[in-house]
Amino acid sequence: MSTALREAAKAGELTAEQREAVRDLILVLADSKRLLGMRYGNWMLGAPELEAGIACASMAQDEWGHARLLYALLKDFGEDVDALEHGRTAAEYRSIEALDAEPGSWPELVAVNAFVDLALTLQFEALAESNYLPLRQRVQKVIEEERFHAAHGAAWLRRIAASGDEGHEAMKTAIAAITPIVLRWFGPDSNRANAIHDASLIDAVGSDMRSRYVERAAALLRDIGGAGAFGDLEPDFSTFDEATRRTPGTSPDERTITQIRGDRNREFLMD
Amino acid sequence: MIYEIFARKSRGEPLRHIGSLNAPDDDLAKVYAFSTYDEEKWFDMFIVQRERFIEVFNRLDAAEFEPAAGEPAGESATVHT
Repeated sequence: MSTALREAAKAGELTAEQREAVRDLILVLADSKRLLGMRYGNWMLGAPELEAGIACASMAQDEWGHARLLYALLKDFGEDVDALEHGRTAAEYRSIEALDAEPGSWPELVAVNAFVDLALTLQFEALAESNYLPLRQRVQKVIEEERFHAAHGAAWLRRIAASGDEGHEAMKTAIAAITPIVLRWFGPDSNRANAIHDASLIDAVGSDMRSRYVERAAALLRDIGGAGAFGDLEPDFSTFDEATRRTPGTSPDERTITQIRGDRNREFLMD
Repeated sequence: MIYEIFARKSRGEPLRHIGSLNAPDDDLAKVYAFSTYDEEKWFDMFIVQRERFIEVFNRLDAAEFEPAAGEPAGESATVHT
């Protein structure tokens, strides 16, 4: 299988199995980035201080940029990029389930910032040396921009946790709602996952990704005196679809997807 | 707390004051400085708490040092609040 380790400048150089797995991963990441941008964007107004609102605007811009860059990559896989970006219903989205609902409070948004954005960034880091060159060439910029998102999440996490019992409790509750979803999102150690790992298209999958995540997230949790938040490291994959990394039949909220598609302003499109 | 932000476009260039912001601590101040003032491609950026500024002199107060030569006589004695 030495040919499988060759670098690929085009998706057409991958095997059908690899091509499908890489394409699915890119779409999962693109949709997740887009949803995350929407979640940040919604807090441009309403954040606890003006500067935090500006930070949300800036992070939203970054996420939308990352999403576009990923969608554009799918052209190489024969996809209609415009249809992917603007033509799908909520049920067709593959974004991480932790972004399905609008964060209802600032601590919930901070938990998303610190623990969901981290999961996406770790997934990008695992692609930094990918043998699929178009992806590798784009990953570094994403990782660099994410440094400031991580700093924002960590600083706010500490601030809220230090604000008193109420803040600490709100933070813990918000984090506890996210981490089991994220741990499952990395997926099982399946043949499908191993196929892209063995070809060095990604440098970790499944439980290795979970270990990386737990290590990085634990450092954040120690900061707020909340160790031991990860109970079961063996998620239940019985309802998990590996291609979408979701439970079939679930989806992000329709309202947000309507905004993404731009339905209300479609009539103004000139082209 | 109020923080003042300084940056420059290239190594060797003097630091330039580019703005200020409100933040509760240094960590968030750094994040906010970056997200608020990242429109331009800076070479480096620094922040300092405004209260950490040490005034050397001020032409209106003129307590510690005489104003620079050539200042109109009498101005340093002007009373102001």
